[in-house]
Amino acid sequence: MTTATGTPAAARAAKRPAPRRPRGGIRGHEAAAGWLFTAPVLVLLALFLVLPILMAAWVSVSDWTGQGNPFSGGAHFVGAKNFSSLLTRDGLARQDLMTSLRNNFYYVLLVVPLQTALALFLAIVLNRRRLAGRGFFRTAYYFPSVTSSVAISIVFLFMFSGGGVVNALISSAGGTGPNWFADPDGLIHILLDKLGVHSAPAALANHGLLGQSWWDWLAGPSVAMTALIVLAVWTTSGTFMLMFLAALQNIPAEVEEAALIDGASAWQRTRLVVLPMLRPTLFLVLTLGLIGTWQVFDQVYIISQGNPAKTTLTPAYLSYTTSFNDQQWGQGAAIAFILFAIIVALTALQRFVLRERKADAG
Amino acid sequence: MKSTLGRGAAAGLGAAILALTAACSSGGGFGGSSSTSGSGGSDSGPLNVLIGSSGAAETSAVQAAAAAFAKQSGIKVNVVAAQNLQQQVSQGFAAGQPADVFYLDTSSFQNYAKTGALYAYADKASDPGDFYPTLKQSFSYDGKFYCVPKDWSTLGLAINTADWSAAGLTPADVPTNWDQLEAVAKKLTTGGRVGLTIASDHAGIDEFIYQNGGSLLSADKKTASFDSPQNVAALNYVKKLLSDGVLKFPSALNAGWNGEAFGKNAAAMTIVGNWIDGAMKSDYPNVKYQVYPLPAGPSGTKATLSFTNCWGIPAKSSHKDAAVKLVDFLASGTQQMAFAKAFGVMPSRESVKDQWTAAFPADAAFLAGAAYAQPDLALAGGTQTISDYDSKLAQLATADPAALLSAEQKNFQAVIQQNQ
Amino acid sequence: MTLTERTARARKPYRPGQLSPRARAASYAALLLFALIYIFPFLIELGSSFKTDADATNHPLNPLPQHWTLAAFHQLGQQDFPLWFANSAFVAVSVTAGRILFDSMAGYALARLRFRGRGAVFSAVIAVMAVPSVVLMIPKFLVLNEFGIYNTYSGMIIPLIADAAGVFIMKQFFESIPGSVEEAARIDGAGVLRTFWSVVLPMARPALITLTVLSFQGSWNELSHFIVSRQSPQLNTLTSGVATLVSGQLGKGNQYPLKLSAALLMTIPVALVFFFFQRHIMRGTEGAVKE
Repeated sequence: MTTATGTPAAARAAKRPAPRRPRGGIRGHEAAAGWLFTAPVLVLLALFLVLPILMAAWVSVSDWTGQGNPFSGGAHFVGAKNFSSLLTRDGLARQDLMTSLRNNFYYVLLVVPLQTALALFLAIVLNRRRLAGRGFFRTAYYFPSVTSSVAISIVFLFMFSGGGVVNALISSAGGTGPNWFADPDGLIHILLDKLGVHSAPAALANHGLLGQSWWDWLAGPSVAMTALIVLAVWTTSGTFMLMFLAALQNIPAEVEEAALIDGASAWQRTRLVVLPMLRPTLFLVLTLGLIGTWQVFDQVYIISQGNPAKTTLTPAYLSYTTSFNDQQWGQGAAIAFILFAIIVALTALQRFVLRERKADAG
Repeated sequence: MKSTLGRGAAAGLGAAILALTAACSSGGGFGGSSSTSGSGGSDSGPLNVLIGSSGAAETSAVQAAAAAFAKQSGIKVNVVAAQNLQQQVSQGFAAGQPADVFYLDTSSFQNYAKTGALYAYADKASDPGDFYPTLKQSFSYDGKFYCVPKDWSTLGLAINTADWSAAGLTPADVPTNWDQLEAVAKKLTTGGRVGLTIASDHAGIDEFIYQNGGSLLSADKKTASFDSPQNVAALNYVKKLLSDGVLKFPSALNAGWNGEAFGKNAAAMTIVGNWIDGAMKSDYPNVKYQVYPLPAGPSGTKATLSFTNCWGIPAKSSHKDAAVKLVDFLASGTQQMAFAKAFGVMPSRESVKDQWTAAFPADAAFLAGAAYAQPDLALAGGTQTISDYDSKLAQLATADPAALLSAEQKNFQAVIQQNQ
Repeated sequence: MTLTERTARARKPYRPGQLSPRARAASYAALLLFALIYIFPFLIELGSSFKTDADATNHPLNPLPQHWTLAAFHQLGQQDFPLWFANSAFVAVSVTAGRILFDSMAGYALARLRFRGRGAVFSAVIAVMAVPSVVLMIPKFLVLNEFGIYNTYSGMIIPLIADAAGVFIMKQFFESIPGSVEEAARIDGAGVLRTFWSVVLPMARPALITLTVLSFQGSWNELSHFIVSRQSPQLNTLTSGVATLVSGQLGKGNQYPLKLSAALLMTIPVALVFFFFQRHIMRGTEGAVKE
């Protein structure tokens, strides 16, 4: 960038006293320009983010039946009825919500650590100096993140079908693959079955929480859900790998060399020097991962619609079907808010757990 | 001043983008017109018809019929095949722009009738007494006959004739009761093929309940009897067939539905409705099969299920009279026979019964079930409950029928309670 | 050789990043294995699009067709695939144009222009980024309904232009460039808009390219918004249209090549954009590349 010295502008600047003194003319225009420039974005965000939330809040405490304007006289205030039938009253609505929460919980539990670990591993390996084909590998790992969920879901539907690619691979290795998207057995139940526990012990089956027996809560992700988990990890690890790569590139080489000179092995270097410096990025990746995995909708909509036996039902998809298919708009909106609350709570919890403690900072 | 001009230009550009997209807002675009209701005179349409098509044959048949009506009456009709009929009807109502005429299944009918969204025109349509009583019952709510059934199907037992003779069976061996069905299915389960396949939801399993003398919902939808001993016994029978390996659900056969499993000869027999004809003709033309009436239950009770849609007209429609005229045209005996020839359904009018049986002698078994066809399960506000019932039935092989049915009894009772 | 020399020779000349040959081979093996895992589904997708239905069902593992055929693509042409493609292109281009304009304006204002309430506006944008998009699905439908733009192109395009992440990207970029050129232009008498349009925006090329690619990708691949904002088949985009292919109709059989060819064709534009601009994306997220 060329400096301004020696140009007529600079000469003028040198002559003029303190050009940064606030002058009504430019500053006034600046304020107006500032508002004008941000106005379109603000209007759009207000109209299509804030207003929908307010509207949904009204619908979730009303009995709107889905006809005409919810703000007209037709919809009446019913207080917390929708929320109570989802959370406190024993019935199908609560059962479905709890099932969907259980399913999504296992999905999050498996996807977030797997995708974070895989992304970190790939980023560390790709960060080596003098790596041949780095660009090729980076592109290969990131490419699935670029494609649409519809296209990926179709490919995975094909690959995980009963006679599909994955089962062909498994049988070439000598085993028989399950009928992936039709198998509702939870992984934990399958594991317990192999260990000899073939049906629910009375203690777990007869007692429960919020309408689901403990045995049901402890089912683990179903085989069908596992296929969706693989899909999620495969699709999103590339994006997070790029984030980790960026952060790794920003670690100055001197820091690593200093550790080397101190005699640290590669593993020690990674654990004690690199990982702590990646903390902010790790934080960001975990937050984004949590927010994303609790909202899984597209894949369920395209592949399984909650089947088999509602083991791939997620709160986002349940909210959609409750409103659009079952005409229960109030309940659908209430489910969306419950989901919002869960995401906010978990993000806050994660911030709390991973915060920089003053004692071991630095 | 330069900056004012500049600012104006920016504002103008932003406005231009919004205006451009707004200009394309009136339903136009690259294709034809979208389904916005016209605001013409009350009886001159144009009418928007939303259908849930089973394929190209049905769509073109309905479009041809609509064109014929338009020519005859001068009322323009626009037929749209929905991708997700239930969702689109629901969105139409929520947007205040429902289609003028739309396919309505028995389950959604209950929901919309309850909220007063439908126009009860069926008693004023032409010859309402001509419709089969079971169909009238499916589309009556609170004693009022709401909408005209457009056609219907029942379940029959389709048998692959090549597999049948290869197993050494003759037409005399066609099963007429449960024991015979079990025996025949066992004989036909060989090699990689299973004897029988059925749909894994209530539309594939409930007929067994009725054949055993059980029942699910009373006719007035005010009592539920899911957990009766006859129902439990019926489900135990189906479960036994599953555990013996002579009956498998389509997902276990890597098929999307039972017709596909039947067509690929993964199963030698299937219990399926009239729609099997169109599917077999287009996808599996080389499979020879024959349809027979369903076997009776242990005490000789015959039962099958009926599946039907009606022509729904919204209560707040501005084209009610024109819509009723269109429905009269589409539900006439002649037009229903044309639909039957195009995509294999049965007419909903009894007056053309013989005409249909003469035209489709191979499907006589389906119509024979008219005398004992039970309406499909439907309850206002019960869509979620029914789909929960379906997902539990899909796991029948490993479930306890008594527990399954008593859980369903609880759920359906709760919905009935809410409806009082 | 002296003792020190021998000791020096014995210790491996270790520089960060240099591995023993075994470790290096292991790294490459791992990288290649993962690359294969990541790419294999796309090979299957590519090959199976050119297979017959029976071939795809019977030989799923082999990406090469036994007989190459274009039957699946012909079938796609008979569906409304070209219409869906046109709709997707129109919507994606409109959304991208809108986002580029509005996000760069807002980003510049938040980075450079001093006005009261700037901090509040920025906090509002950040807070909004946190709202999960799926939670907004039903409410957005209700709002589109109210404004009367449900089932129209406006309803599909305008809500997607609202993009807090894009504002964030542009603001970060504008903050990172030195202000001397702008100051010079201002002193020359250019107004805010003139400065923005003729001086600053051309300098923002890298960030604009990143924004273009991300916006195009996001709107091309969007599904849930197109489910709730439209119902007419004339307004189907690739995502919503192909989604209906998958849910299928009764009596349609598996038809994997048809669905896979649809998936393939809808991926090509976004893949082209990606490959063309990937250097910018990679660089944008990586900072200085140490090659």
